[in-house]
Amino acid sequence: MIPEIGYFSLVLAMGLSLLLCIFPLWGAYTGNLRLMRTAPSLAVGQCLLVLFSFGVLIYITLTDDFTVAYVAHHSSSTLPWYYKVTSTWGGHEGAILLWLVMQASWTALVAMMSKSLPWVLRARVLGVLGFLGVGFMLYTLWMSSPFERLLPYYPVEGRDLNPLLQDPGMIIHPPLLYMGYVGLSVSFSFAIAALLTGKLDNTWAKWSRPWTMAAWGFLTLGITIGSWWAYAELGWGGWWFWDPVENASLMPWLVATALLHSLAITEKRGVFKSWTVLLAIAAFSLCLLGTFIVRSGIIVSVHAFATDPDRGLFILSFLALVVGGSLALYGLRVSQVYSEGRYKLVSREVGLWVNNIFLVVATLIVLLGTLLPMIHKELGLGSISIGVPFFNQMFAILIVPFAILMGMAPMLRWKQNKLPPLAKKWAGIFVATIVITSAWLFSSFDEISTLTYLATALAVWICIATVVDLVEKVSVHPSTAQGLKRLGMSYWAMVLGHVGIAFVIASVTLTSAYSVERSVVMKKGETATLNDYEYRFEGVNEIRGPNYGGHAGEVTVFKDGEYVTLLHAEKRLYDVGMQFMTEAAIDDGFFRDLYLALGESMGNGAWSLRIYHKPYVRWMWLGGILISVAGFIVLADKRYRRRKQTSVEHA
Amino acid sequence: MNKKFLGLAPLLIFVLLCVFLYQGLFGNPRELQTGRLGQTMPAFELPDLMDEQKRWTDQDLLGEVYLLNVWGTWCPTCIAELGYLTELREQGVRIIGLYYEQAYDPDFGDQFDINYLRTDVQQMLARAGDPYQFNILDLERTLALDLGVSGAPETFLVDKNGKIILHHTGDINPRVWRSKFAPAIQELQP
Repeated sequence: MIPEIGYFSLVLAMGLSLLLCIFPLWGAYTGNLRLMRTAPSLAVGQCLLVLFSFGVLIYITLTDDFTVAYVAHHSSSTLPWYYKVTSTWGGHEGAILLWLVMQASWTALVAMMSKSLPWVLRARVLGVLGFLGVGFMLYTLWMSSPFERLLPYYPVEGRDLNPLLQDPGMIIHPPLLYMGYVGLSVSFSFAIAALLTGKLDNTWAKWSRPWTMAAWGFLTLGITIGSWWAYAELGWGGWWFWDPVENASLMPWLVATALLHSLAITEKRGVFKSWTVLLAIAAFSLCLLGTFIVRSGIIVSVHAFATDPDRGLFILSFLALVVGGSLALYGLRVSQVYSEGRYKLVSREVGLWVNNIFLVVATLIVLLGTLLPMIHKELGLGSISIGVPFFNQMFAILIVPFAILMGMAPMLRWKQNKLPPLAKKWAGIFVATIVITSAWLFSSFDEISTLTYLATALAVWICIATVVDLVEKVSVHPSTAQGLKRLGMSYWAMVLGHVGIAFVIASVTLTSAYSVERSVVMKKGETATLNDYEYRFEGVNEIRGPNYGGHAGEVTVFKDGEYVTLLHAEKRLYDVGMQFMTEAAIDDGFFRDLYLALGESMGNGAWSLRIYHKPYVRWMWLGGILISVAGFIVLADKRYRRRKQTSVEHA
Repeated sequence: MNKKFLGLAPLLIFVLLCVFLYQGLFGNPRELQTGRLGQTMPAFELPDLMDEQKRWTDQDLLGEVYLLNVWGTWCPTCIAELGYLTELREQGVRIIGLYYEQAYDPDFGDQFDINYLRTDVQQMLARAGDPYQFNILDLERTLALDLGVSGAPETFLVDKNGKIILHHTGDINPRVWRSKFAPAIQELQP
């Protein structure tokens, strides 16, 4: 009975979503204020119903109701309670329900936080969000319900959550990623509402910006944690694979990053309006496209999801409707949009414009790399495979001008700049970059390739330029305290975001160039050396977890004869699925990670082990966290709060 | 006029993309164009998974149409298709397994416990259904490499002269069987 209540609650939620889609949009079209005013309560109502339905799924999972197919396939009674909760988004149907939860929550949040928006715009934004809600709920109810029963024959025990997913990373990674994906639907709705209203002025950009920043912050954090999870859990020491599923999350991120910068120009200067709207549509469209790629099985990926062409067809139809519809609307309206701002070649406008071009080109590279093998085949040209080297090479080429620009652009002013004083400043920063990069690399490493040097210098360049700009902006004020206070949150977000990117560039460069690994076979008491560190094998113990057994290898690490750490690497065998899992042992550090994976028993007490030394690898996730914080702190910007009050007066 | 066309350009590009995505959805992108397609089975001599003394060669397989199914107990999709494959066997389809061991990596100096694997396979087949006439064990993956296998599950349709007719990547389900294997087998029947 309880699962049916969950399903029914979702049916009701879809009813409200349908009304949320119809009433406010119709009201805005006919100018009926009463119809428009239904939007916020409908939005909150559908959110509560979806949350209730999700609560039901969690409840039936916690109570081991294996009459429900989803629970039987993705959970088991021996699973610890927190992984039971995690299992509610460990499979396709539950993951889509989680998507619905996010969608409904963002919609309710927009409804509650948009009180100062003009009613026509508010109703349209919520109406578009309602439309998206209907699409996803219809999909869930029709072909992907997590409440399907296995009656009358149901198993007494579930198939367990895939051991790969039994990891803290799985608890937080999908919710964060979905927060980001779905959050971009808010920027999308604002763009569509603005197109419908026909008023593409900078108020639209102002409203859209904090929501976009928040969604982008979540997306960044989601991707960062996904990368860390791959590194910590999969036991291969890698962090990015250019897999179609990874690319599916990178594409919206790249476009959302372009959108943020472009929103800034549209808000401040009223130019690039039609371009900004197109980016807002593209960012969410790529989220939908990503979902299609992941869920339809159209592309072969290491992340094996349910592959079902019926589901794929539904998502493709929805994608065609949403994206096709909005691009048609865009095409009809964009010719009426005029930009009034004027600017010269050396100006912040042009800097941001070039930034956008780089980001869009990067997106196209990922999109082509992901889809080209399929398109190529459909055209009858035979199979091709585009792999890691293609992406690495293309990104290596793109990052050079992009990083140089990232250091220079923040110093540009709106409209126009005189070049000589800027050039002098950049020359100074260039010299400082060479000095610091050389000092850093020559003191840390024996051999340095040109490419490594260049890429590291790019990271250093961004950092120095950002700091120089910060110091200058503060020093125009009489006192430092006053100067720091005057810098807006948007400025701090830029500083953090750019420094974060510098960290990522440095980390990717150095860890790719200087990581070393060694496979060894050791008996108890034997030692192996790798990069100044001595590893002494202490033997293997049997272990027993709640739903797995296995072996744990212990290795003591010494450096210059002094104790560093004790590594504990596990090889687990999960009871239900009889699957092996590697739990690598990692001693993380600011400058290097020591990474150990336990191999097989070789007999006579000897075991094979794989040892990795990974310099600066942690900076990658540190950078990712810095970038996502940049997304969140803009929400604290006083400008957005103050403007709310003023716009109440205007409304 | 010019500006209007420029505004509609994204829509046109998107429509084109949708056409490809639609084709991809039904055009079976998982089908690989193996160099082996249309050629005969590579020569091999490999042990039986359950009995090391018993060895199979390419000559043993001749004379009857069969499916060569590449699988492993570590591969969830392979387990998922066992049920349907068993149905096919009951309908008279000859299915031979090529066991693909993932955990064993000779370059890593792994030691391999064949008895553990046999127990594992037996338990799995008892639980999920056993479609196989017999299983070939290809520990060094020589046959898999010769066939161009990139993962599991993959299935080859081979005619009675040993010619490879089809190479399918991904699981076999009723839809794939109806649309792909059944017509190909029909053609082979005189």
